[in-house]
Amino acid sequence: MEHAAASPLEAMTRAAEDPAGYVEQWKARTGGRAIAVFPMNFPAEIAHAAGLLPVIVQEDRNPITLGNNLLSEFNCGYSRNLADQAATGRLDVFDGFFMADHCIQLIGAADVIRELTGGRRFYLGQLISSMNDPWTPEQARLTMTDFVAELSSFAGVEITDERLRESIKTYNRGRKLLRTLYEQRRSGDSRFTSGELQTMVKSSMVMQREEHNALMEDLVAQSSATPRDDRVRVHLSGHFCHAPKPELLALIEESGGIVVDDDLFHGARYISTDADESASPVDALVGQYLERNVNVPCPTRAQSDVDWDAYLLNAVHSSGAEVVISLLVKYCEPHMLYLPELRKALEAEGIPHLLLETEHEGIPLETMRTRIEAMFEQATRGRAPTRVPTA
Amino acid sequence: MATLVEDKSNRLRMTGRGGELVGAYWDELFTARERGAQVVWYNGHALNPLFQAAGISWCHGEAFSARLAAQHLEGPAQLAGEEYGYVNELCSYSRTHLGCAVLTNDFGEGETGIVGAVDQRELASRLPEPDFFVNGYQGCSTGQQWDQMSYRILGKKVPIFTLSLPYMFGSKPDAGYLVGEEWETATNYVVDQLEKLIEFLEAQTGRPFDYDKLGEIMGYIKAASQLRREAMALCMAKPTPATYWDWVACIAHINFMPAGQRLIDYFQGVKDEVVERLANGVSGVANERYRLYFDGIMNWNKLGWLARKFADTDAAVICGRYTHQNFWQEPQLIDPENPLRGLAQHYLLCSNSQGFKTLKEAMVKDCDDYGIDGIIFHASRTCRAYTNHQHLLARVAEKQLGLPTTFFEGDIADAAFYKDEILEVRLAALLETIDAKRART
Ligand code: SF4
Ligand code: SF4
Repeated sequence: MEHAAASPLEAMTRAAEDPAGYVEQWKARTGGRAIAVFPMNFPAEIAHAAGLLPVIVQEDRNPITLGNNLLSEFNCGYSRNLADQAATGRLDVFDGFFMADHCIQLIGAADVIRELTGGRRFYLGQLISSMNDPWTPEQARLTMTDFVAELSSFAGVEITDERLRESIKTYNRGRKLLRTLYEQRRSGDSRFTSGELQTMVKSSMVMQREEHNALMEDLVAQSSATPRDDRVRVHLSGHFCHAPKPELLALIEESGGIVVDDDLFHGARYISTDADESASPVDALVGQYLERNVNVPCPTRAQSDVDWDAYLLNAVHSSGAEVVISLLVKYCEPHMLYLPELRKALEAEGIPHLLLETEHEGIPLETMRTRIEAMFEQATRGRAPTRVPTA
Repeated sequence: MATLVEDKSNRLRMTGRGGELVGAYWDELFTARERGAQVVWYNGHALNPLFQAAGISWCHGEAFSARLAAQHLEGPAQLAGEEYGYVNELCSYSRTHLGCAVLTNDFGEGETGIVGAVDQRELASRLPEPDFFVNGYQGCSTGQQWDQMSYRILGKKVPIFTLSLPYMFGSKPDAGYLVGEEWETATNYVVDQLEKLIEFLEAQTGRPFDYDKLGEIMGYIKAASQLRREAMALCMAKPTPATYWDWVACIAHINFMPAGQRLIDYFQGVKDEVVERLANGVSGVANERYRLYFDGIMNWNKLGWLARKFADTDAAVICGRYTHQNFWQEPQLIDPENPLRGLAQHYLLCSNSQGFKTLKEAMVKDCDDYGIDGIIFHASRTCRAYTNHQHLLARVAEKQLGLPTTFFEGDIADAAFYKDEILEVRLAALLETIDAKRART
């Protein structure tokens, strides 16, 4: 096996940095087919149960060229980068494309991808986005059932309950392993940097789950706690689709901060919720979809009985974070809409909050450094004796 | 900004009459509380026939923001939104209306909503605060979240109903315009959603819903819509008797004003005037030399200005996605005997919520039908729902139709994004390309 000789983190880094390379090798090795899936709600378990490799398409590092003539420059960097990947053949490794409704900009990118990857199946399923209506579970169930039928027909494999149940277990196992490290970080272990944790999550979106789980088992088994020092404890918030650039995470650490928790898609949001292994598999996936939005509320969904700001305050109290840094993907409307509520809630509790806007290209790292350092300095000046984690 | 000395646009007389009707509608809404009526704030699709049948007064969020922008009164609401924390890259309809919600919350302790601060008076200051919200968006996540935000700004005490409407991406193999499994399934789904909305309205009003009245209302809308479509079709004539700007000016009427005989009379008047112009050889632009297609959601701050600007170059803007592929554009689908199905299908037809394949076919058809020479894309800065497909559409126009295209930037309700010089240069280049193409053939 290609990654057998590498250390777990090296193997993960390779897959996270070059998903297409991983997919090519996987296909050559297994003779299987891979599908591209998109954030945030597509139930990868179903594709896995059909024997496919579902890969969440990552933002890549290439500068956007053709993508700028396919979507407007005021679309978020992720959607333009996806359009660019489609236009330049970087998605050619995928045999099909599957997505559950997310946000309007991603739908725009989906149509560009469909247009430029002609002939390959692109399926967009409408998972109901109004989350707290009496009919929501039933509507979500219909869409999940539809996904099962579509993927069965795409893969030419009958996705039985049994297969689906196995896949759910495999994915639950993977999330649990990742959560173990996240929980340790929350309660004071600083063995892994936020960049390393991001690599683990990102690679889990790319690699075949069994293989990733095996690497994670190794990592967790080897893990020995490293006590946190007195750097400023940071909660990172935002980025619903792609990972913040590793250099930005490094910058936070260089500036005297340590990330103790996050609600990033490439982080706590993605691994927050399992599917119930004792329920019927489709119902379990529906439950997972609904519960995830309660566990870590998402601004692309409509749910009037949960609030991201309430979640954030709660998370900050449990991890003992001293400051919150919101990473806003430039032009990301769902995030922009919720920011005032977040700010109000944090201000009301006196929790310092810094908003950093990120772009696909040209992140002004030095300007950010100045702002981050200023914030940390202020946080340490007014430091209460200790904010200890409550969970 | 350049000044236009001579106005070569020849707008329909009925536009002035239409403006009076819209003014009267808003005035009536402002007195809803005094009349003891309930008020709903709704966003997205044209749900007003349901509210009219239920005896509720309605404020369409986009329409209110558009009206403020058209009257150049959007400033105070946008400022309030900005102070609250909404950045200017966010949909300016939502920003403006959220600003209204902020003002309502701050100043509207009484019954009348946005009143109090003297400097806010100009801001159509009598908009009554809502008794409840209904959100009816398809695809546009911003549109859906906007009401979630209003709900929070107003203290989470105003009931909210979110209508779930599927985006017509065209995932199924037989998907197509008005046909296929996806169309049928989506229709049934939306009918079901509308039934749930009606139950919600019954709970809010404490009255049984009047289905007969809804049927009657849909009959008026059907007749008005047929007249509108017929009048539009008459503009295939060369030169065109009316322009895109005339159709923009009567969107409010078809999209959210009360349906009744008055609505039919208005569109009859519009059609009669177009017929009369055709008979007398009167054109919508003094000296039509170019026939253009306009793709983009409207720039409400600039409606009159753009009409004059294009006419100044002898360009008649004939039709466009916003006017011709929206707003009850398929009246034959309305069945007053079975009103919910026709309503559901019209919601599904909103061009903001169509996959590229449908949009492409519709644009190609309109360009053929109306004898179009070139396409101008209004990249409305803060509405991604509308701009999402524009570059793909431009490729089709150029490669498949051989039509030159150009883009200019502006916005639906934020004047700051419009740059007159850019439009001027790009439009001139587009017309030159058309000239060069003509010279070659
Ligand atoms: S949620 Fe935000 S980052 Fe993700 S695709 Fe939509 S706009 Fe872009
Ligand atoms: S972004 Fe466009 S479609 Fe969405 S709410 Fe705003 S105006 Fe409507």
